[in-house]
Amino acid sequence: MDREIVERVARIAHLDLTEEELERYSVDLGEILEYFEMLDEAPGIENQGFNPVPIPDALRDDVPSMDIPAEECTKDMKVYDGFIRGPRLA
Amino acid sequence: MKLNLKDINERYEMFTAFSDVPDDSKFIFSAKDNLTSKDFETTAGSKILKGYFPPFDATPIKKMREAGGALCGKTNMDEFGFGTFSTNSAFGIPKNPFDLNRSCGGSSGGSACAAAVLDDHVSLGVSTGGSIVCPASFCGVYGLAPSYGRVSRYGLIDYGNSLDKVGLLSFKASDLRKYLPVISGKDVHDPTSCVQPELELGKKKMKAVAIPEEAVKGEGISKDVMASFESSLESLKSMSIDIEYVSMPTLKYSIPAYYVIATSEASTNLARYCGMRYGQQEGDLTLKFDDYFTSFRSQYFGDEAKRRILLGTFTRMVGYADRYYNKALQVREAIINDYKKVFERFDAVVTPTMPFVSPRFDEISKMSALDSYKADFLTVPPNITGMPHLSVPCGYSQEGMPIGLMFTSDHWNEDVLIDMAERWDSSFKVRHAEVKA
Repeated sequence: MDREIVERVARIAHLDLTEEELERYSVDLGEILEYFEMLDEAPGIENQGFNPVPIPDALRDDVPSMDIPAEECTKDMKVYDGFIRGPRLA
Repeated sequence: MKLNLKDINERYEMFTAFSDVPDDSKFIFSAKDNLTSKDFETTAGSKILKGYFPPFDATPIKKMREAGGALCGKTNMDEFGFGTFSTNSAFGIPKNPFDLNRSCGGSSGGSACAAAVLDDHVSLGVSTGGSIVCPASFCGVYGLAPSYGRVSRYGLIDYGNSLDKVGLLSFKASDLRKYLPVISGKDVHDPTSCVQPELELGKKKMKAVAIPEEAVKGEGISKDVMASFESSLESLKSMSIDIEYVSMPTLKYSIPAYYVIATSEASTNLARYCGMRYGQQEGDLTLKFDDYFTSFRSQYFGDEAKRRILLGTFTRMVGYADRYYNKALQVREAIINDYKKVFERFDAVVTPTMPFVSPRFDEISKMSALDSYKADFLTVPPNITGMPHLSVPCGYSQEGMPIGLMFTSDHWNEDVLIDMAERWDSSFKVRHAEVKA
């Protein structure tokens, strides 16, 4: 795979790759995608599902509930005044 | 029962976390470390989750505890399940109890090791592309991956949502019948578990099996594995099981189709690890939003995780998705059709589990990423199709390494597999690992 494409994919995937990683993944992914070319000739069945067995949509009423108390969920998070901290937006 | 888990773990590195359990426990079990658990750190083999103590048990762990089981440890694994040899863990590499210089298999390597070396022990494993039967084969134990949807995935740290299955590993075939009903069943927290028919055991016996020519008539299987396989076929015949070679032409597309689907799903699942909620949270909060996530993920994801994220992101990208992701979904349907045709006449498909015995770590280090993906060519077909499959120990190589035999049955037909495991166990002498402390 071209190094430029690997850089582009890495940017989308939020990965900052070193020079050594860029070189290595270019070779690896090139080799893997070359092997995947056999999919072009493979038979396929249209109207395919996203799962190997049919899974109907499971809808339910939107009822508020508290399966796990919020303080339990946030006990190991870096919180400030009960809010999860994150990096700045701008 | 008191176990000296510390000494055992120093030797085999099968646990990422463990503790003593009450003496009066009904039974003791371990669980792969991608199943969330109260009381134990849960890392899925990744540095990015170090320090994560979940506030709840995954449904299969909860059910095992409710049945009287005591969870003694979380088992080592490839990071997020990304591997065939358990060498991609951030927390040491589990050692094969038959030869400490060899792999336990992956990605449920620690679970297979625990099943092999601890007495009266059952371990919960997880399979996406073969991660239960591969290590079961390498460590000489029974491994069962049920149908996709048979066991709730609630609390499972996702790798591939359309592929992940929770199952069992044990030295005793009888444990499969004992514990599959415990962990199975509908769970409102996982809609995929709610489509399953009731699990019925003891109804069906295996009478006829098919061998796919495309899987076994090539050069991909080592001589010692092939010899054991042929000898196993004779054993099946002696059980009055009919055997016939069949053609399943789509099987050769399983590896690319599987790796496209699996990495596509993995790359979206791993987007949630951004250093704000789980595990490591030591990033520099003065950075901009995107820069924070990027630096955090780049620092803590391992090599294979990055490779799979890149591959899965690429195969879903505009301009490539039709050629890769959408085509892979279509190919999966074609492979399912191939299996369904075979199951019109046969109860199961049988092949060796892995094409070779467990390799040494120095051999694994020389394999390319693609070499390692291709090693899964026997275990991927039942996994991409969501079909239940079983590995039984069926022989030993000249070096004394275990060899596995794999049976795959139609969706929801775990009963023929469990029946086979027990019949096999009554005629085949399974060896204990002989590495001495």
